[in-house]
Amino acid sequence: MRPENYQAVSLPCSNEYELFIGPNHPGIEGNYAFKLKLDGDRVLSGKADAGYLHRGFEKLMEGRLWIQNLAIVPRICVPDPVPMEVVYSLSVEAIENTEVPERAQWIRVMQLELSRVASHLFTFGGHAATTGMYTPSFWGVADRDLALDLFEELTGGRVYHIYNIPGGVRRDIPDGFLDRLSQYLDYLESRQNDYDNLLFTNLVFVKRARDIGCLNQENALEWGVTGPNLRATGLAFDVRRDDPYLIYDKLDFDIPVQTAGDCLARILVRRDELFQSVRILRQIIKHLPSVKGPVRTPIPNPLAWNVKAGESYSRVESSKGELAYYTVSDGGDMPYRVHVRGPSSMHAVQVLENMSVGERIEDIAQIMFSLDACPPEVDR
Amino acid sequence: MSEIGNIPVTTGNDKKRSNPLANVFDELIRFCQARSMFMLHYCTGCGAIELPPAMTSRFDMERLGIQPMVTPRQADILLVTGYVSVKTLKRVILTYEQMQSPKYVIGICSCTVNGGMYWQSYATAKILNEYMPVDVYIAGCMPRPEAVISGLRRLMGNIENGKANGWKDYYQRYDYYLGNQQHLFGDDWQTPTDIIGEANFYDLKGDETCGEHTKILEQHQVPLEPLPMQIKF
Ligand code: SF4
Repeated sequence: MRPENYQAVSLPCSNEYELFIGPNHPGIEGNYAFKLKLDGDRVLSGKADAGYLHRGFEKLMEGRLWIQNLAIVPRICVPDPVPMEVVYSLSVEAIENTEVPERAQWIRVMQLELSRVASHLFTFGGHAATTGMYTPSFWGVADRDLALDLFEELTGGRVYHIYNIPGGVRRDIPDGFLDRLSQYLDYLESRQNDYDNLLFTNLVFVKRARDIGCLNQENALEWGVTGPNLRATGLAFDVRRDDPYLIYDKLDFDIPVQTAGDCLARILVRRDELFQSVRILRQIIKHLPSVKGPVRTPIPNPLAWNVKAGESYSRVESSKGELAYYTVSDGGDMPYRVHVRGPSSMHAVQVLENMSVGERIEDIAQIMFSLDACPPEVDR
Repeated sequence: MSEIGNIPVTTGNDKKRSNPLANVFDELIRFCQARSMFMLHYCTGCGAIELPPAMTSRFDMERLGIQPMVTPRQADILLVTGYVSVKTLKRVILTYEQMQSPKYVIGICSCTVNGGMYWQSYATAKILNEYMPVDVYIAGCMPRPEAVISGLRRLMGNIENGKANGWKDYYQRYDYYLGNQQHLFGDDWQTPTDIIGEANFYDLKGDETCGEHTKILEQHQVPLEPLPMQIKF
C-alpha cells in the first residue's frame, strides 16, 4: 500500500504506539524482527516475528542421502556450527549402534569446546556493542579469528567445517596442532584481565546490565530455557555433566552458576564458561597424545548406505543451550524425518516476549542479545 | 556519448554536456564515490558472519573507506549476504528502493548466484539478479574475508571506470524486474517508491521501463495526490 492511500482512522488520544525492531538491525543478532507495543518508553507487549531465514531444512534433509545431509546441518546455527555436525553424527550412530573410536571422541570434544570459545567471544562483543561499547566487539572478533585459524588448520574451513562424520572424524589432527592450541589458550588467559577491566567489571556496563531482563528459575523451567540462560537463574544443569555424551565423564570441569537471572548474570555465566572450556581443552591437550588408534570406523558405501530402521533422540550442550536431534529412519538411504530442537527457538520467541514486558525501550536490544539467540535455529 | 580511454561513459543527457570540463568532473566524482562507500548493515543470511571479521582489526576494510551504515538512506552498497527467503526478499527490495542513487548491490555467497545448496528448497529465492541488478558476485560458501574485500575492491574499480551501472539498469528495465517480483509475490505486490517517477527524474526512462507488469501495478496504485491535512483538537 502506498502511504498516500492509507485511510486515517480516528482513535482516542493515548501514548501508545507500535515500534518495529528489525529485521534490518545495526546489531549482529541477524535477520529477525521484534514488534513492540509501547506506552511512552515502557514496553506493553512484544511480538516476535521470525521466519526470515526459513529454508525448509527438515524437508530438505528428507530428500538427501544420510551423508549429504552433513553438508547442510552446520548451516542451522552459524556462530556455533560444530555441535550441529556432532549431534547429527551422534544420532545416526545411535540408530546404527556404531562404536566410535576413542581418539575420535577426544577430537570431537576438542572441537566442541573450541567452537564454544569462539561463539562466546563473539557474544561478548555483540552484547557490549548493544550498550554502546565497541572495543570489546573488536577484541572479541579478533580473538575469535585466532580460533578460526586453528579450525582452518584442522579442517580446511573457517566457519563451516564438515569434519565430523557418522563413525568418527574425517582425519587425524596435524603435527604440532596441540602446541599451537596450547599457545592460543595461553593467550586467551593472558587476555582475561583485559576483558575484565574493559567489560565485566566496567561500571558503565554493570550499571546498564544489572536488574535488566530478569528471569526466575520457575519461569525458566516452564518456558524451556536451557544452557547459560538457565544456569544464570541458579540451576546447575548441564547436559555435559548430567547426561554425559562422548568422553565428558572423564573430564574435570565446574559448572558456573549465577543466581540473579538478569543480563549481567547471563554474561558472567558465559565468561566463566569460557574459562572452563579453556580448562577442558588443557586436559585434552594432556590426554590426546596418549590415546592411540584410528579416528573413524569405516562406514559402508556412502552413496548406497541404508541406515537401519529406528529412531533416536540425541542431545548435546551447545553454547546456546540444549541442542537435540530427533531422527527417524525407515531403513532407506535417506532420513524419514529429522527434527531439530534448537535452544534458540524457545529463547527468541516465548522467553523474549514474556521478558520484555515492562522493560524500557533502550534495554530491549540488550535483552535480545543477552539471551544469545541464533535466529537461523528458530527458523531452520 | 563520450569516452574516457576506451570505456564508454553513459551519462543521462548528452545534449546538456557542452562544458569541456564535464568529463573531468565526472571522473573526480567517481573517484570520490569509490573511496567512501557506506555499506548497509543488513545481515540477510549466514554469510553475514564473515562480515564482522572483515570489518574489524584483522582484515579491516575501513582503510578502504568502507564503513557499515545502519540506514538505507545513507548507504551506497547493499550487501546481500547469503540465501534470501521470500519473506526476506520483500524487505531487501524495499530497502534497495529506498537507497539513494547511485547504489550498488553485491551478492555475497553462492546462494545469491544460483540458490547454492538450497536449490530444492521451497522457501528461498534462487537467482538474485532476477529481482535486482547485482554489480559484483562473490562466490563461495562462505567466502573468506579476503574474498569479500577483493570483491569490494573490484567494485571500487568498476565505479571508477563507470562500469558499475546496475542502478541504471533497474530504472531502464524496471518492467522485467517487476515482472519477476510479481511472479514471486503475487499480482498485488507494490512498494511505496515511485520508480517510474524516479526514472523520469534521472532521465533514464527506457523502452522497458513501462510494460505489461507496470500496467498491473497501475491498476491498484492510485496516482500521487497530496492528502488534505486536517488537525482537530
Ligand atoms: S552460500 Fe553457504 S554460507 Fe552463503 S548463505 Fe548459502 S549456505 Fe550460507
